[in-house]
Amino acid sequence: MHTTIVKRHKTTEQYDEIKLMRSIYAACLAVRTPAGEAEITAKRVAKELKAWLQKKPEVTSHDIRIHAAAFLQKYSTHAAYIYKHHGIVH
Amino acid sequence: MAKQTYDYDLIVLGSGGGGSVAALIAAGAGKRVAIVEPGEMGGECPNYGCVPTKSLLHAAEIYDAAKHAQQFGIRSGTLTYNYPSLKAWKDMAVYRTGTGEGKRLYEAEGIKVLEGEAHFISDHEVTVNRRHISAESFIIATGTHSSIPPIEGLEKAGYITFKEAVNLTRPPKSLFIVGAGSVGCEFAELFSVFGSKVHLADITPRILPKEDEEVSELVRDTFENERGMEILTNAKVLRVAKEGLAKRVYFQQGAIEKSVKVDEVLVATGKLANVDIGLENAGVEYTPRGIQTNEFMQTTARNIYAAGDVVGPYNYTHTAIYQSRIAANNILHKQKVAADYRAVPRVVFLSPEVASVGLSEDECIKRDMPIKKAIAPVAIIGRANTSNVERGFVKVIADRHGVLVGASIVSPRAGEMIHELTLAIQMRLQAADVANTIHAFPTWSEAVRIACSKVAKM
Repeated sequence: MHTTIVKRHKTTEQYDEIKLMRSIYAACLAVRTPAGEAEITAKRVAKELKAWLQKKPEVTSHDIRIHAAAFLQKYSTHAAYIYKHHGIVH
Repeated sequence: MAKQTYDYDLIVLGSGGGGSVAALIAAGAGKRVAIVEPGEMGGECPNYGCVPTKSLLHAAEIYDAAKHAQQFGIRSGTLTYNYPSLKAWKDMAVYRTGTGEGKRLYEAEGIKVLEGEAHFISDHEVTVNRRHISAESFIIATGTHSSIPPIEGLEKAGYITFKEAVNLTRPPKSLFIVGAGSVGCEFAELFSVFGSKVHLADITPRILPKEDEEVSELVRDTFENERGMEILTNAKVLRVAKEGLAKRVYFQQGAIEKSVKVDEVLVATGKLANVDIGLENAGVEYTPRGIQTNEFMQTTARNIYAAGDVVGPYNYTHTAIYQSRIAANNILHKQKVAADYRAVPRVVFLSPEVASVGLSEDECIKRDMPIKKAIAPVAIIGRANTSNVERGFVKVIADRHGVLVGASIVSPRAGEMIHELTLAIQMRLQAADVANTIHAFPTWSEAVRIACSKVAKM
């Protein structure tokens, strides 16, 4: 099932896993995580988020940010903080 | 400035006791109302909770009474049961609650029913199956789901919760129940009556840990000596492993690790609130235990109210209905009503029934509250003689001025008897007021009068 993302000004777009992984990867690199580890973390977070989105046809970009940050928290507290509070865009 | 227009005046998330009552009240007041329900109409209570368990327990009570009827001169041939027929009886009881009518009941009242998961997009808008609907006010009554403890091997070996337990087509030959609260105890009673060997385990030192100690002791004694159960208190379940078609449960009591082989494992370790509905987008604060509300059932978002199990502090249909009525009133009227939990009756449907209201003795001690308490055994009253009942008691607790603050009853029909004391606590009556009220002879409620009379004399 495709999940639709409702953005801040009510515009919508399809959920893009690659885009999410890119932003997680960037957050990990920003806290000096080695590139290989950042890639693995991004994949793990994307997998967990995909499971969360399984039964959700539509969520907001804010939901994505909060939940991805919560999943990322388990692997890297610093990266999660950066991802949640800084403009690494999804 | 022009007033913002919305699709509905009120959208209610959940059609259980916490949601449906408010929806009907608001619709009756001429408001445009919608209910969003992702599961069965009516929610947990009529489909998986109170109604199916009580209908099965009623059948169990009759079966058990028939087994022991010889003492009253009643003889029968072979006494058996047919569990699929019992399940059919339970299904009929569930159907008769109106859940079988589905959404037609609500639509007849002018309420729009939307089937699907609701997810907040903002404080005035939810998405349901990608359809955006807005409302001036919301009531969140999304209920709870079973909290499954992280026990090694449990997922792999398999387990059931109350949802599956009410739909079994035969009782398991042996059953390990994790959690000896009210749900665990009711299923322990049900399946033990129908012949299952029940092992009832809890991590706390006693079963029914929220009740007074005397209640726990009497229920434990009944379970062990009359129902043949194994009661495992202070027991921590370590792991579960599949063993052929059966399951082996490993648990620790004190420093000793033990194990037992059973047909089925029932997990009854509490509930968690259904809060994964985009509450962050609406500014509603919550914890995994529930949504935070003030005494008016209003959440941290001014136009969003919450009621029922998703709020707590009690997981009962009657408290959900009470909160739903309060939420509806506070949405519809300027004169706000606050929730008052001083006299919430609680019933565990065992045989004999267990009922309590108000403060327990432990709670009084925690509050450093000087109390007067008295216990009247039901064995001393006329009705116990005519029914040949020896077990049970009424315990009442009053403050130092004799005003009733709490009560516990273990007795046949305790669930009915408790309401006299509920009213007394709600109206801040003294124990003497109840003691001076005429109680019919021979009724179980005479024990209430005797217990109150003892406190009044202190």
